[in-house]
Amino acid sequence: MKAQYIIQKEIRESILTPKGFLWYVFTSVILSILSYFFLTNNELSLLDQSQMLYMIMNFITVLGVLMGLVLGADVFAGEIERGTLEALFLSPVTKIEIAAGKLGAAMVNWWIIFAISLPYLFIVGKGGQNLLRGILYLGILGTLLSLTFSAFSMGLSARTKSMKNSLIISFFIFLLAGSPVFLSAALRMTWFGKILDLVNPFADAINTFDSVVIDSQGFSFQIERIAIICGYTFLSLWFLRRGASRLEI
Amino acid sequence: MMMVQVENLVKSYDGHTALDGLNFGVEEGDIFGFLGPNGAGKTTTIRILTGITKADSGSALIDGHDIFTKPGEVRKIINAFPESNGYYEWMTTYEYLEFFSYLYSAKRSKQEIYKLIESVGLNGMDNLLIRSFSRGMKQRLGIARALINRPRLLFLDEPTNGLDPKGRKDVHDLLMDLNQEQGSTIFLSTHLLDDVERLCNRITIINFGKIVRSGDLAKMERKGTIEDIFFMSTKEKAL
Repeated sequence: MKAQYIIQKEIRESILTPKGFLWYVFTSVILSILSYFFLTNNELSLLDQSQMLYMIMNFITVLGVLMGLVLGADVFAGEIERGTLEALFLSPVTKIEIAAGKLGAAMVNWWIIFAISLPYLFIVGKGGQNLLRGILYLGILGTLLSLTFSAFSMGLSARTKSMKNSLIISFFIFLLAGSPVFLSAALRMTWFGKILDLVNPFADAINTFDSVVIDSQGFSFQIERIAIICGYTFLSLWFLRRGASRLEI
Repeated sequence: MMMVQVENLVKSYDGHTALDGLNFGVEEGDIFGFLGPNGAGKTTTIRILTGITKADSGSALIDGHDIFTKPGEVRKIINAFPESNGYYEWMTTYEYLEFFSYLYSAKRSKQEIYKLIESVGLNGMDNLLIRSFSRGMKQRLGIARALINRPRLLFLDEPTNGLDPKGRKDVHDLLMDLNQEQGSTIFLSTHLLDDVERLCNRITIINFGKIVRSGDLAKMERKGTIEDIFFMSTKEKAL
């Protein structure tokens, strides 16, 4: 499978260039600041551990989705603009293998972010309820969401062939997806907020975190939301496959 | 034996006809010059023949394989140096060539990669980052990349653009060696008529997506210089 060489190349690029490396630094810095405030700020430290864990899990998920969208936008359009995609297309590697390799690398990037966040999750959630279950759900749903939004952004990148357009659309999608975090509780209760909650895989993920970490509900309560997220994942993978296989330079 | 056989190739972009029923063939072992003014359809033809772009209609056989139905088979025996070749600038020369060698089934050994680096005149630069390279050095690296799978058919789109006289001579020598020692067929698209005179045995001139002249270069030159032939065929005053 030639895709493994593409994954290796992409991961090396992430580590050796600011493209991915800055995300890791940014994650560490922001999580350090958040954790510091959670543990030292007079008001925030009054929150119980599971509430803090829930908030930091939401933040990590937002970061994973944003990273998937931004890096995904560069995957085809960026390579076309830099003139590097043609050489890849000349090799006997199929477009689907190239897309699979790049998606694999996006997943590795998410797992690196997840690994960086683990110590912070343990520190903030220590002594609270459902810490390990919360981390497990974050790992699984974060992976699914990262896969969904990365694949969507890559498919978009293959279709628009323009980094600028892919980024603009990706940011718009990010604002819609992040609505449960960005909208106030009152706005979330309006018809607009409810529709967004209903069709938004990101909202399903954070509602699942809420249900697992704060309400201590079991897996049977989560099945429906997880199924919706899986549905979006399959849709995004189909969108990427279609976009990549039809891509011409 | 025919290495390239093109029949009635048509390609349009947004209502503009880039290729208008192109017909030509390239014999195995030829150094084939593909000439034409800007916008004549040279790069589009190369992109179609290398499977990067699909044609609207027509057929193209490479070594008997249909590029539209068996692009994987064709890509094993061809390679190309595109006009706007980009590079992974964070890689070193060696890493860049090694990465592309992995993508082919017949992976190259370390020694072979070093030999390839030497053959394009980048000796001692195997550990340098590509971002530190001049345009000419990048051009050489791009040609090395195009040779990584020992292609039986090599497409080159303006390979000597931006090279100094020494660089151009090195590329000429490299292509001659490749053709004579390995028997590779070379499909050379260029504006530089001097390159054509030095290297090619057969040429085809394309204008507005159609072939306007084709044949043996030595026979054509009996009727005038390559420059005269080109201008007469394309009715253009300048390149």
